[in-house]
Amino acid sequence: MVTIDALEKTELQLGFVALADCAPLVVAREQGFFRQQGLQVVLSKESSWASLRDKVSYGLLDGAQMLAPLPLAATLGLNGKPQKMETPLVLSQNGIAITLSSALQRRLNMACEPGEDQHAQGKAFKAMLAELGYRPIIATVYPFSNHYYLLRFWLAQHQIEIGRDVELIAAPPGKMLSLLQRGDIDGYCVGEPWNSLAVQEGAGELLVSSYTLWGAHMEKVLGVTSEWARRHPNTYRAMTQAIYQACQWIGLPEHRDTLLNWLALPPYLDASPQQLRSVALLSTLEQRFSGREVNRPSLQHGEFLLQQMMRCQQLSALPADAQALVSSVYREDLFTPWCEPAVIDQRLRAAQ
Amino acid sequence: MGKRVNLRVLLVDGDAQRIRQLTLALHQQGHRVICHTADIASLNQQVAKEQPDIVIIDMDSPDRDTLESMAMMSRENPRPIVFFAEQQNDHQTMAAAINAGVSAYIADGVQPDRVTAIIDTAIAHFSAHAALREELAEIKGQLAGRKVVEQAKGLLMKHQGCDEAAAFKTLRKLAMDRGQKLPDVAASVIDILKTT
Repeated sequence: MVTIDALEKTELQLGFVALADCAPLVVAREQGFFRQQGLQVVLSKESSWASLRDKVSYGLLDGAQMLAPLPLAATLGLNGKPQKMETPLVLSQNGIAITLSSALQRRLNMACEPGEDQHAQGKAFKAMLAELGYRPIIATVYPFSNHYYLLRFWLAQHQIEIGRDVELIAAPPGKMLSLLQRGDIDGYCVGEPWNSLAVQEGAGELLVSSYTLWGAHMEKVLGVTSEWARRHPNTYRAMTQAIYQACQWIGLPEHRDTLLNWLALPPYLDASPQQLRSVALLSTLEQRFSGREVNRPSLQHGEFLLQQMMRCQQLSALPADAQALVSSVYREDLFTPWCEPAVIDQRLRAAQ
Repeated sequence: MGKRVNLRVLLVDGDAQRIRQLTLALHQQGHRVICHTADIASLNQQVAKEQPDIVIIDMDSPDRDTLESMAMMSRENPRPIVFFAEQQNDHQTMAAAINAGVSAYIADGVQPDRVTAIIDTAIAHFSAHAALREELAEIKGQLAGRKVVEQAKGLLMKHQGCDEAAAFKTLRKLAMDRGQKLPDVAASVIDILKTT
């Protein structure tokens, strides 16, 4: 007989950023998975990763949807004072890409068939730079993100140098599309729905996705401070299980319409369901939300992220205890016992 | 030389009134203030051009990520900016700043103690502003509540054929019996009477 351990806290504030992959939090709330676990959750829309990080660090939020590298960067103190953070659950995989303006992509297509593999495209891009007469400006969102690492990875792969060949700038995701349409930038590397939207609006075309370049990778995770985790072990587990259930719910195709209707609501993405629907259909970026291998924190990707931080000079040397560090942040050890389907079922039955 | 600290401050805030008042206060302390209110597409350029010693930015501005990216991405930028907390050990000041909705970035090499007064001023202004906004929201809520009560009274008078005082008494009794606020009771009365 499983008994319900007392929740240390039942009213929670969780942060999110209005991107397609905030879906698991939205579903956990709207479909009642939080409530089933005895949790009352307010979802707080944050306008930047920086503000989300600070609010989690200083306890204004109990936890949040985070870019996969964010808890690692916070633990290392790469973006502020060191603050130990961790994740027991991956919210989504993949779903990011480099998009080029239609004008630049048209030029590229003259030198290279659109269907060619990404190596041929990269080579053609590099060759095109010499004839362009200007340095294309490529925008990205945040330095501790797969987006930034992907862009740097792709540029390095084709010996394209920042400063000499292209320029990098930063801009908020919500402004990317209009910057691209105005011609202020020539491309960007962002998450969904912004790549699909550019294609849909005829402003840009996909150059390469993270999935093509890297294979499946953690994209967004559920992040909390390790201090919060220590003080609320039962709430931590209940919250994680509710969101894991939401991820599984998203995986069923018959829930798609309901999901898009919820995501479209003003407190979340604040878009029309029709627009989201066409974006969701266009997406070839392999954005995934469910499956035990999808939601399990990946130590391998954690170590890969450490390497990317070094490659981008955010980290000068690999920490001596790199493996221990990675497994203290990406808590595969919590996911496994917490998200066994049988464990969740038993707990819920006991609660009824 | 006396201890003259005048610094170049870049304010990034979408709230025109708040930015005006804070600018005034910082001018009085002898600082040079550059304001940035709208089109953020040029924040990159403005920081590069103006080389501020400190950037004070609304906690909820989407441009915070832009600022943090600039610090990481442009090694050629001679004065990368760093998040204030990196140089600050004072947990309380940081917590106060975040509660007030203030975040601050300072140029590499500027001593944290030189900017403490600026950050304190910003926190004070942001907090005062938030208090005003809360008060306004409360007054608006009260007004809306009063409207609901008036409407419920009208419906009750028509429905029960009673006078205004009796209708109000009914509402008040309901509120006391149910342990609810008057506007909440009024709203449910409207729901019931409108559908019957």
